[in-house]
Amino acid sequence: MLGKLDWSAIPFDQPIPLIAGAVVLVGILAVLIWVVVKGHLPYLWHEWITSVDHKRIGVMYILLASVMLLRGGSDAIMMRIQQAIAYQSQGYLPPEHYNQIFSAHGTIMIFFVAMPFVIGLMNLIVPLQLGVRDVAFPTLNSVGFWLTATGALLVNLSLVIGEFARTGWLAFPPLSELSYSPGVGVDYYAWSLQISGVGTLVAGINLVTTVLKLRTKGMNYLRMPMFCWTTLASNLLIVAAFPILTATLAMLLLDRYLGFHFFTNEAGGNVMMFMNLIWAWGHPEVYILVLPAFGIFSEVVSTFSGKALFGYRSMVLATMAICVIAFMVWLHHFFTMGAGPDVNAIFGIASMIIAVPTGVKIYNWLFTMYGGRIRFATPMLWAIGFMVTFIIGGLTGVLVAVPPADFMLHNSMFLVAHFHNVIIGGVLFGAFAGFEFWFPKAFGFRLDERWGKLAFWFTFTGFYVTFVPLYVAGMLGMTRRLQHYDVAEWRPWMIVAAVGMAVLSIGVICQIMQIVVSIRNREALRDRTGDPWDGRSLEWATSSPPPVFNFAFHPDVRGEDAYWDMKLSAQQQSLDHTAPEYYDIEMPKNSPTGFVCAFFATIMGFALIWHIWWMVILGGIGAFATFVVFAWRDHDEYVIPAAEVAAIDRVNIEERRNLVSMAGTI
Amino acid sequence: MSDQTHMQVEHDIAPGDEEQHSVGERIIGYVVGLGLALLLTALSFFIAGTDLVWQPSIPVALIVLAIAQMGVHLVFFLHITTGPDNTNNVLALAFGLLVVFLVVGGTVWIMGHLNQNMPPMDQFIRMHS
Repeated sequence: MLGKLDWSAIPFDQPIPLIAGAVVLVGILAVLIWVVVKGHLPYLWHEWITSVDHKRIGVMYILLASVMLLRGGSDAIMMRIQQAIAYQSQGYLPPEHYNQIFSAHGTIMIFFVAMPFVIGLMNLIVPLQLGVRDVAFPTLNSVGFWLTATGALLVNLSLVIGEFARTGWLAFPPLSELSYSPGVGVDYYAWSLQISGVGTLVAGINLVTTVLKLRTKGMNYLRMPMFCWTTLASNLLIVAAFPILTATLAMLLLDRYLGFHFFTNEAGGNVMMFMNLIWAWGHPEVYILVLPAFGIFSEVVSTFSGKALFGYRSMVLATMAICVIAFMVWLHHFFTMGAGPDVNAIFGIASMIIAVPTGVKIYNWLFTMYGGRIRFATPMLWAIGFMVTFIIGGLTGVLVAVPPADFMLHNSMFLVAHFHNVIIGGVLFGAFAGFEFWFPKAFGFRLDERWGKLAFWFTFTGFYVTFVPLYVAGMLGMTRRLQHYDVAEWRPWMIVAAVGMAVLSIGVICQIMQIVVSIRNREALRDRTGDPWDGRSLEWATSSPPPVFNFAFHPDVRGEDAYWDMKLSAQQQSLDHTAPEYYDIEMPKNSPTGFVCAFFATIMGFALIWHIWWMVILGGIGAFATFVVFAWRDHDEYVIPAAEVAAIDRVNIEERRNLVSMAGTI
Repeated sequence: MSDQTHMQVEHDIAPGDEEQHSVGERIIGYVVGLGLALLLTALSFFIAGTDLVWQPSIPVALIVLAIAQMGVHLVFFLHITTGPDNTNNVLALAFGLLVVFLVVGGTVWIMGHLNQNMPPMDQFIRMHS
């Protein structure tokens, strides 16, 4: 009846996950009770859960990423403490628990923090920058988000019901095969990634179509803001690469569920094929994450330097070059697995070549800043911190791209330091820069600058104190994922890294404080202009937060930096005072399809993990029925009457008049 | 969404969105496509079993026929043309082909070398006995 599920799935003998799970459960229950008692449920349901508005979905993506960042961060803290004390001792985490923690940390940080954070920012901002009213497929967008949330939920469920994978974040066979991992850990891993992978693919198709098909009048490809270009490149990579991940995990699941032999040791399976396929997805994934961050930095650097982006066309070219070369370097993740010198040399050279377009970008940002009047607001601090940090990470990356050096450094702490150097310094700093930069756009008030700067400095310092020692430990021969060790030379570096982790945590606390303080002072921080940073692209041309239809009229774009040009020409010509004629606007109706689909997907995923076959069928039928009901709907749009559009837009125009007189003088 | 968003991209049509073709013309197109596809299929089956041609040329012929089959499908059923309204579709196809070529070609190359350097145990024994 319940497959493999029974009471032994709950880890009553392990206090840490049990207490953590109980605290989270109590927290969720408290929030739910508060929501129901206060009567917020209808509001949440109508305005957020069933919303197909790209801005709302973007915000929910970022919220999901932030919650999961805390979860993944707790895992990181536990690992650093373990390695600081586990010198010639077992530390406080038993091996099977420690292995689950580092596997969960990697899985969560990549799939449920970095991915939703950048997809959330793209969702929130790209339609606004393109001057359009929504993404190409609004309901599909909601489905994508909720499926991602399903994946995150399943990963968290593994904390209290059953276990998570102990195989590392990519679940390499043969360790992840049934004979070595008989528990449900790998199944939790694989099904949560399969389900959220569908969500990611859907988001990718949606955003590619949006950029290619929905652009406002005059928004040629070469007038699009840089963030739209990097969104295009990143989502092209999603569409091309995520099917590889899905197929690879599907083969692993066939091995585990139906006795196939794709990646087993015996019966003709080939373990190396898994490495090859997973990294054929895995390396493009790196660029899927970091390209949008490059776009964010381009917007931030140009806005806060008060200059157009230097070398816009070379930036476009570099972005698209990375988009293609991203598919030509994946072997550098397994130089040491025996492909031989010919293959290694070619992929090593390709890996060094891909650093060139990235270098072009760095120079473009530097030259954008050169001669500009730079304002050191929080987003700009993140951008500068990124440039410094990312260059170091890039250089160590070029170092490990040299196959002979990689043979020394493969799977060492040096590698761990390198990829945290580029992912934290690149993606996470980019996500934070975008968060600080666009928060006023999403919510209509600015974030507290003092707490923001504190958060930056603590995170920045904490990052170096944590990860530079890991470089050293790697050079001293320390391999990754050690539950305990006996080498005295490594110990001091592990202790320094743990101290660095504490500093990083203070940065996170500052970030939370910043949000709390800003919400409390929101009236004082209110942004009535819609353009708090003296911005350059079209998202700043509408109010903050934007109305549901984004723009009353589709903006007419005449060049790069569309909104900056509008502000300048408005200043010169004085403002046009004739009242425009408003039209009715049709917008897509809200739909619970995404939420209901994800509800059934959760049931199905959970049932698959525990082999509860009747429930699998139930979930599958439910999800399919939801899709059929949605496909047969009659009315999918509603009309916002012209009078309402006019009322909303007049307020916006009034505020803007006050601003335009000050443009360029801030 | 409102009609205003659709007007800005003029020369770009999604697959299946053709306009200005009479039903007769379209039916002829599909019939020609079907005929060609059937012809190529029949030819493949014929070539595979025949001894009329030089035997080693058969695999090459099959590959050529398969590629021609893909071309017929793209032109007659998916309506990929060289016209300006098809730029996005052609670019998407080219990008897809490039990625498939890189991943499949790279995989064959890598796995071939892996097997050379670290052959499975039975091959290893055969090589050294």
